[in-house]
This record gives sequence, structure tokens and C-alpha cells, in this order.
Amino acid sequence: MLAAVSIVTFRWILIPIRAEGISMLPTYESGTLHLVNRLSFASRPPARGDVVAIMLAGPHVLYVKRVVGLPGERIAIVHGQVHVNGHLLVEPYVRNRRPWDVDEVTLSPHEYFVIGDNRGMSAADHDFGRVELSKIAGKVVF
Amino acid sequence: MAGAARVGRAAGVVGLVALTFFAWRLWFTGEEGVIRRRLEALRDEINLGVADGLENAVRAAAIGSFFTDDVLVDLGQGTAAINGRETVMGMAARLQPRTAAFKLEVQDIGVTMRPGNTISDVTLTGTFIRRSITTGEESIDAREFALVMTKADGTWRISRLTAVDTLK
Repeated sequence: MLAAVSIVTFRWILIPIRAEGISMLPTYESGTLHLVNRLSFASRPPARGDVVAIMLAGPHVLYVKRVVGLPGERIAIVHGQVHVNGHLLVEPYVRNRRPWDVDEVTLSPHEYFVIGDNRGMSAADHDFGRVELSKIAGKVVF
Repeated sequence: MAGAARVGRAAGVVGLVALTFFAWRLWFTGEEGVIRRRLEALRDEINLGVADGLENAVRAAAIGSFFTDDVLVDLGQGTAAINGRETVMGMAARLQPRTAAFKLEVQDIGVTMRPGNTISDVTLTGTFIRRSITTGEESIDAREFALVMTKADGTWRISRLTAVDTLK
């Protein structure tokens, strides 16, 4: 019974993941273990500031990113600073910034804008951008 | 009461065995299973690494055998599309990582058969693990891919491979 509960919990509800890479520094260091709650967004949609896990082709390899833009919003990055609908977004979790520049995009009704916390790395080496809600596997809770 | 419980347990066991059998049959004998194993074989071929001279050409040909003559490979923005098996083989033959060793892992293979069972749409995640020969440092790059595979002469080959931008 305990084994069955564990299998259900860690396969469909709380997915254990290991962070790889530096894109979420300093919040998550490479090699550290975390849990993704797949039910986090069952009752509410992702919110700005949530750290979410994003599926690629399936649930075994996930991107971990932070939500900075919500559906319908206009997002731009100017000299490394995220702007939402023309207003500067305060991001206390970001320590270092490089002068990234991304032209303004308007998110569709099902899109979120996600980005890693490490803005000190080259933008070319950092995966970020718009993602469909259906690709968000859950919230990183630990 | 005890008899009913025994019958229930027996039914459960029978159900589990039947489920296992059908899963085994789907995995090992269905076309989806064949395609999965084919892609895993390509992964293993790529992970054999780099050889010298003739052996390198043989390995390039082996990798080429997983693609159709007119394969189209589109790795996304900033890269030119690759047309044809010969080009793929040429690129495989030129793989000479002098500064880093790499390993490919393939996960989350999803197969959808088209009517007729000779064409399939496949999605998967490819993870490239590079290890610097000089520093030993490891870097990981995961990408989502969409493939079209076609079956000819009893063999599944990749006819189109496209990198998918998960984040746009």
C-alpha cells in the first residue's frame, strides 16, 4: 500500500527533479534536488514570480523557469530589465544582469513569458520566451 | 466472505497478468515499439563516438541508414536546413570532437501512426551531454524534436527531423 502511494505521489503529483545548468542561479544551483507539484495549477493559473517546470516532449526532461509575463501582457527586455506593459518589473531574485534586449511581444490568451533568474549569462546561452500553458507541468515547490 | 476475497484477489492477479501481456505485446511487437527501438538504436550508434579513417566512414554510413534518401533536417533558427542522406552522412563523418566528448540521450518518445501504418509522427526530447576533455566539465542541452518516419522495405527511417522551440 505504501509503495503504491509512493508511486502515485512521485509519478503523478510530486515529481522529483535535479537542476542541471546555471540558468536559475542563484535561486537553484546545478545538481540540487527539487520537487514539482503537478497539482499546483489545478485550481489557479500560474502567477508572476512562480517558478515552474516546463515539459519538452514529455515529463522526463523539464525546463525550470520563472514566470514574468501573464497571458495578454506585453513583455519586453530593455538593457536586461524586464518590462511588463511598459512598466519596469522589480525582480529581487536577480543578482547579475547583462544588457539583454528583446523586442516587445504580446502574449496570447494561453501564453506565459518565462525566464531563468541568471541574467548574468549570455542571452544566446539562455533559453527563455513564450510558452503555452499546456506545456507547464507544475510549480517547483522545494 | 473469505471465498469472495480469494476470488477478488484471483481476478486482480488475472487482470494484472493480462495488462502486462498487452503492454508487452504493444511494446515489443507493435509498430510503435519497433519505432522506439529504432530510435534507440540510432542513439546507440551516435554514442559509439568517433573513429578514424575507414571505420569513421562505416559509422557515418551506419548513421545514414537511419534516414531516407531525401531526408530534411531543420535544426531551427540560425542553422541551414540539411537536405539528403548523403549530407547527413558527410556531417556524421566530419564529427571530430577534439575538445569534448558528447553523449546523446533520447527520452519521452511519443509515436502517432498515420492511417496505413507506413508513416508515423514522432516527438521526443534529445539531451546532449558534452564533457570537456580538458576540464571534465559537463554541460547539458535538451531540445524537443518532431520527426516524420516512413516505413519502406520493412524498415523505419527518418524522413524529416525538426527542432521544436519549446520556448518561443
